[in-house]
Amino acid sequence: MQTTTGNFSRRDWLAVSGLAAGVLAAGRAQAAAAAPVAPVAVAKVPSYDEDLVARFETMFDQIGGLGGLVRDKTVAMKLNLTGGGRYEGYTAGQTHWVHPRVVGALTAVFGKLGARRVRILESAGRREGIPLEDKLLSGGWDVNAIRNAAPVVEFEDTNGLGLSKSYSTLQVRTAPMIFSAFTLNRSYEDCDFFVSVGKMKNHEEMGITMSMKNLFGITPALLYGSRETVFHYGRVQPPSGVPAELDPKSNRYEGWRLPRLITDICGARPIDLAVLDGIESCVGGEGPWCLGSKPCKPQLLLVGRNCVCTDAVGVATMGYNPRAGRNEAPFRVYKDPKGHPPEQLIPPGETHQYAENIMLLAESVGMGSADLSRIEVRGVPVKEAMFDFEAFWKGQMRA
Amino acid sequence: MIGASRWPALALGCIALSAAFGAPAGGPESWVPIRWQGGPLEVARRTLDGTLPQDSAVREALARWYEPETLDLLAGSPVNCLLVTWSSGGEPSVEEKQHALVGAYARRAREKGIAVLGLVYAGASPARFVPPAIEAGLDGLMVDGGPEGGAALTAQVANALRSAGSAALVLTVAGTPAEAFASSSAVAIVQGVWPGARNLADMGIRSGPSADSWIDSNIWLVRYLRAAAPGRPVWISSEPRDGAATGFLRCAAEAAVAGGRWIIAPDDQWRAAWLRKAPEALAKWERLAACLKFAAEHAEWRSFTPYGKLGIVVDPAGPSPDASNEYLNLAARRQIPYRVILRPRLDREALAGLQALLAADLSAPTSEERALLGNFAGQGGLVVAGPSWGVASKDQPYVELPLAKGRVVVYRDDPPDPEEVARDLLDLLSTEQMGVSAFNVPSVLVYAGTGGPSGPVLIQLLNYSGFPAEAITLRVNGSFKRAWLHQPGAAAVELTLNRTGQWTELAVRELAVWGGVLLEQ
Repeated sequence: MQTTTGNFSRRDWLAVSGLAAGVLAAGRAQAAAAAPVAPVAVAKVPSYDEDLVARFETMFDQIGGLGGLVRDKTVAMKLNLTGGGRYEGYTAGQTHWVHPRVVGALTAVFGKLGARRVRILESAGRREGIPLEDKLLSGGWDVNAIRNAAPVVEFEDTNGLGLSKSYSTLQVRTAPMIFSAFTLNRSYEDCDFFVSVGKMKNHEEMGITMSMKNLFGITPALLYGSRETVFHYGRVQPPSGVPAELDPKSNRYEGWRLPRLITDICGARPIDLAVLDGIESCVGGEGPWCLGSKPCKPQLLLVGRNCVCTDAVGVATMGYNPRAGRNEAPFRVYKDPKGHPPEQLIPPGETHQYAENIMLLAESVGMGSADLSRIEVRGVPVKEAMFDFEAFWKGQMRA
Repeated sequence: MIGASRWPALALGCIALSAAFGAPAGGPESWVPIRWQGGPLEVARRTLDGTLPQDSAVREALARWYEPETLDLLAGSPVNCLLVTWSSGGEPSVEEKQHALVGAYARRAREKGIAVLGLVYAGASPARFVPPAIEAGLDGLMVDGGPEGGAALTAQVANALRSAGSAALVLTVAGTPAEAFASSSAVAIVQGVWPGARNLADMGIRSGPSADSWIDSNIWLVRYLRAAAPGRPVWISSEPRDGAATGFLRCAAEAAVAGGRWIIAPDDQWRAAWLRKAPEALAKWERLAACLKFAAEHAEWRSFTPYGKLGIVVDPAGPSPDASNEYLNLAARRQIPYRVILRPRLDREALAGLQALLAADLSAPTSEERALLGNFAGQGGLVVAGPSWGVASKDQPYVELPLAKGRVVVYRDDPPDPEEVARDLLDLLSTEQMGVSAFNVPSVLVYAGTGGPSGPVLIQLLNYSGFPAEAITLRVNGSFKRAWLHQPGAAAVELTLNRTGQWTELAVRELAVWGGVLLEQ
C-alpha cells in the first residue's frame, strides 16, 4: 500500500477508512492494539516426501511445546478439504486440499505426545451416513495409514449430526458481527484441543484461505442448508431452531459478509493450534474451478497457537501485506465483477471486487494480532521463506 | 428402428458376398475398421475443401497410399477393415484412376483377409461409382457425407446396389444419435466426440467446488445404440483433436469398453511418418495395436450385461432427444451404474433386478406405464419422474413422495435438467442401489458389467486425463473370491480384496488409459 508519498489513491483511502470506520464504530481500536500474540514457527519444506513427523516435532517445540496440552486429551483436527476437481497432473492434496502426509504426520505426532484420541473432522457428505473416509478416498488418500498413525484415530463427517444424536450450539465469545452463535456437530465441542489444518492458498471471495477461513467448513450444511445461500449471500435465513442473524438487513455482499462471519465462527470455536500446509498449493483461487488459478510450490509449513498471528505470518510468507486494505492484493479479488450489483463494488466502476481483511477484523475483536512487528517468528525468517504468490500468479516468477 | 432379429440376416448376407469374392470370413461384427484414405482422388478432394496438408512429404504419402507396401503396415494387428477413398464427385478421369488403383489394392487386401469399404462423399454420383465398386468386389460402400445429404445419398447407393443385384453393404456415418438409432444400416455408425477431460475453468467456464471435470465420452452412446439393437455392431467416428498417442489409445479403448469400435483415424502426419518407418510413428502404432489386441483378447467382455440397479428409460421418439441423451451421458459422468431401457421395451421383465428407475424421459406416461411404474415404486422401488406424473412442486426442483413401500420423485421442469437429475441421483440413490462406487476418479469413467447371476463382475475403467490415474478405490456390493486387473500391454495383476460386511473393496494403484477389474464370485 502506498502511504505518505502523495500517491495515496481514493480507493486506498476508502479501503482503509471503510475498515477503520467499522473498527471505530465497534469501539475496538484498543482491542486491536492489545490483541494477543503468540510465536509462529516457519519451515521451508521441499516436498511431502520429507520426514514431516520430525518437522512438526521441531516446529511444535519452537512454539513452546504441546505435550502438556494434548496428553490424555481428545485432539480434533479440522481438515481443509474442498471440491474434488483436479489440476491436470496433480492430486487434490498437492494443490487445494491439505496433503494426506501432513495429516498423517500430525496424527502421528499427537499420538506420540500422548493424545488419548485424535479425531479427524471435515464437513463433506451430501447426506447423513456417508463416512468421512469416503471423502478422503475420493482424494486418493491412504486412509488406513492415517488410521494407524496413532493409537486411537476417529473420522467424522461434520456436515450433519455425524456420529452424534444432537448438535451443539456454541456462542461467539468475541464481539459478534453477523451471528452470535452457531449450531455445530458435537465433535467441535467435545474436544480438548482443536486444530485447524488449513491450506495456504488464495481464495476467490476471501483473498486467502489459511487456518481461519478453514473453519467456514465446520458449519453443518445438512442443518443450515446451502452455505452459499445462507452464509455467502444471506439470501435466506437459517432454519428455525438454529441461531439467527443479528441483522438480516446488513450488507449481503459476500466480500463483506464472509470475513465477518468466519471471524464469528472462530470466536465460537477458538482454534488452539493453527497449521498451514503450503508445501504445495495453488494461486489465483482456492481450487481448479477458479478461472486463472494454477498450482504452485511455496515449500512452506507454518504452525502457531494463535490463528490470527499464524495467518498473518503465513500471508507475509506469501508475499502479501497482512495489514493490506480491501483494494489491495490479496483482498482485491476478481471473482465476477459483472455478476454483482455495481453498488457493491466500492468505489463504483472497479474492475475487481473486494474482501475485507479477515485478520484485521479478528484483530479488532481481540482474537489475535496481525501486526508482524509484534509477532515472534521462529525457524525460517519471513524474508527467507517468502514465496511471492502475486508475482507467480502474474507469471513474473517460476515455481 | 430395425428389429434385433434382422441383424443376423444382414451379417449372413455380407458373409455370402465375401465368400463370392474370396474376402475375409466374418461379417461387420468382427471388423476392426480404419480410415485409410489416399490416392489421387483424395488429394483432389482435399484440395477442393482446403484440407490438403501443407507438408509436401505428407501430401506425397497421401497420394501414394494405395501402393501395396501400406498393407504391410497393418501386419500382425487386429485391423481387418479398410475405409478407402472411393468417390467424391470429382473429375471423371481422376475418379476412374482412383477406382483402378483402389480396385487392385482392394484385391490384395482381401487376399490378406482384410475387408474393404469404399468411402463416398456428398456430390458423388452412384451411377458412376457403384458399378466399379461391384466390379472391384468391395465389401460395401460407406457414405461419409456429413450432415447434409447423407441420407439421400445412402438411399441412392442402396437402390443402385439393389438394382445391380449386389448384396454389398451400405453404411452411413450418422450425424446424431437419433439418426444412428433410426438407421437401417448393418452397422450403427455415428459421429462421436474426441474423448478427453478438461477443467471447466480451462474452458473459461466459471463453476464451483462441486463441479466435476468436463469429460467428453462416447461410452453412453455406444451403450445406447447397442441397447437399441443388440447384436448390431456400433462404430464411433471421430477425428483426432491432436496427435498425442494417448488420445488414439483412449478412442479405441473407450469405444471397446461398451462393446463398440472406434473407426481408427490416424492423422496425415502420423501416416506419412509411419510409411517412412519413423520410430516414433511405429511406436505409436504398436501401442495402439496392443490396445486393439487387448480388446480382441477380451472379446467376451462385450457380451457382459450392464451392471446396475438403476434403470434409465429412454424414449427414442420423445420430444427431448437431447435430454434423453444427456440422462445417459451425465449419469455415467457421475459414476452411477445403470441399465438402458428403451421405452418400447418397458415392461415387467425389463424391471427385473432393478431398485430404481429414472423415467423422466416419459414426458407423459401411458396408463399402462404409470401402473407399471407405480407398482414398481409400491414394492419398494424408487421412481424418478417428470412433472406429468403430477403433484410437482412450484417452489422446489423436485418433491419426494412416499408410495407404499417405495417413493416417487417428481421434478418440476419438463424435461428435468439432466445435470440436476444426475447430481440429485447421488442423493436419492442409496449406496446399495449404486452397487459399485469408485473413489479418486475425477477424470475416469467406470462401466460395470456382469457375466450372469453367479458369473464374474467386470469393472472397466477409462482414464480421460493425459496423466495416469492413481490410487483408485473400488467398492462393490457382494462377496468375491479373487480379482484381477487387466490392462493393455501388461500382465494381469491379482488385486487384494478387503471385505467389510456386504462390501468388497479393492485398490487400483495406477491406471494408464484402460483397465478391466474382473471379480470372480
